[in-house]
Amino acid sequence: MEKYFDIQYLWNAFPQLLPYLKITFLVAGIAVVFGTLLGLLLAFMKMGKSRVLQWLAHGYTTVMRCTPSIVLLFLVYYGVPFLADASLGINLQDIHTGVFVVITFSLQFAAMMSEVIRSAIQSIDKGQYEAAVSVGLTPWQAYRRIIFPQAFVIAIPNFGNGLIAVLQEGALAYTIGFIDVVGKANLIIASNFNTHALEIYIALAVIYWVISIAIEKIFEMIEKAFSKGSRSLKAS
Amino acid sequence: MLDFEFLIDTFFVALSGVPVAILVTVVALLIAMPIGFLLAMTRINKIPVLNQIAKIYVSFVRGTPIIIQIFVLYSFLPIVINMFFEKYNIDYPVYDIHPIWYAFVIFSFNTAAVLIEVFRSALSTVDKGQLEAAHSVGLTTAQAYRRVIIPQALVSALPNLCTATVNLIKATSLGYAISLQEITLRAKVEANFGYNYLEAYIDIFIVYLILCILVEQLFKYWEKRLSRYKVASA
Repeated sequence: MEKYFDIQYLWNAFPQLLPYLKITFLVAGIAVVFGTLLGLLLAFMKMGKSRVLQWLAHGYTTVMRCTPSIVLLFLVYYGVPFLADASLGINLQDIHTGVFVVITFSLQFAAMMSEVIRSAIQSIDKGQYEAAVSVGLTPWQAYRRIIFPQAFVIAIPNFGNGLIAVLQEGALAYTIGFIDVVGKANLIIASNFNTHALEIYIALAVIYWVISIAIEKIFEMIEKAFSKGSRSLKAS
Repeated sequence: MLDFEFLIDTFFVALSGVPVAILVTVVALLIAMPIGFLLAMTRINKIPVLNQIAKIYVSFVRGTPIIIQIFVLYSFLPIVINMFFEKYNIDYPVYDIHPIWYAFVIFSFNTAAVLIEVFRSALSTVDKGQLEAAHSVGLTTAQAYRRVIIPQALVSALPNLCTATVNLIKATSLGYAISLQEITLRAKVEANFGYNYLEAYIDIFIVYLILCILVEQLFKYWEKRLSRYKVASA
């Protein structure tokens, strides 16, 4: 067994891999921001009156749900420069691969978030909105002050799951040559002449596992902190 | 410009990978379902040790990207198999094992963990009184599960089962990592000659889209059939 598995490689992998987590988080973070904004837009398209917009938003979500991340990643990687060149004549050959990674996972996260936001808003009783409007709030005020704060709490656990999902799907970014924590792991393995891959991959798995558990716990805490208020409100 | 001739030709190349993707999906589901169900039962009945093992197993699979699970298992399994072969003097080169066997093991490993949670939440939707009522009319626990609990739990499990199946089909697109000749790899290899990657990925995209929408419709139809009892009782 020893000639195949050397625990020393596993320990040595951590200090080499951990600095690259920054990049993984950075990409996921930007994707979450853009994805949430686009997801918000999609959620309102789904709940709006326009049939065409509804159909578009639902179609988008279905397509995203049915496309494997790696396929979407490569479609963006080859498709965006092609479209930019064909329609605007812009050459995107030298652009950083991180941009494609961010675009891909923003698109994917938006589809997830549109469902999370829609179901959260729709879970709020319609009477809340009617009551708000009846006491003289404008529809925008009613959303901002009454609906959103309640929907936000309901959306927290699903948002956390989405965040974990986008971090995990982000592991595929190495396939287009992006050097994040997975890309670095593959570089380490290559520099070991493709031996001791198992140890490096186990280190990688441990890193992701710890991050996922940490995010889960953090979101559980956030949820608890926010739903405390709602309970005391009910009691009073 | 897009090469339309290549686009159409490669579509059929991508399509030729569908049987492999479906085979891996079906085999993984068939292996994962009994394992997932048994472990879900150990979780529900809080059987010591097994409950903890199942918990850690689910946590690991849910906490790590599937590509990393593939990496780990694909470097781990050959070592184990090799040791096994050496011990029992089996003269068979480990690297000649067809990747589809690895695919079966890896995707079953992943899906079983997902199904534990699916079955656990589905079984918990069935009221405890159902089991007690079944016992009181003289059914054994096994009979009660087969005739009363599982048919009801299955209805609430179906949407999650559908998601798990779609995710599994999507995950087979990672077969390239174990050189499995499925949809993505076949079309990609086709594109290697003329660098027509964009066309190849458009084809792959369409094939997965069709496949997943078909699976979703199939589950919707199945769900409608299974939930007939709800209409009758209403």
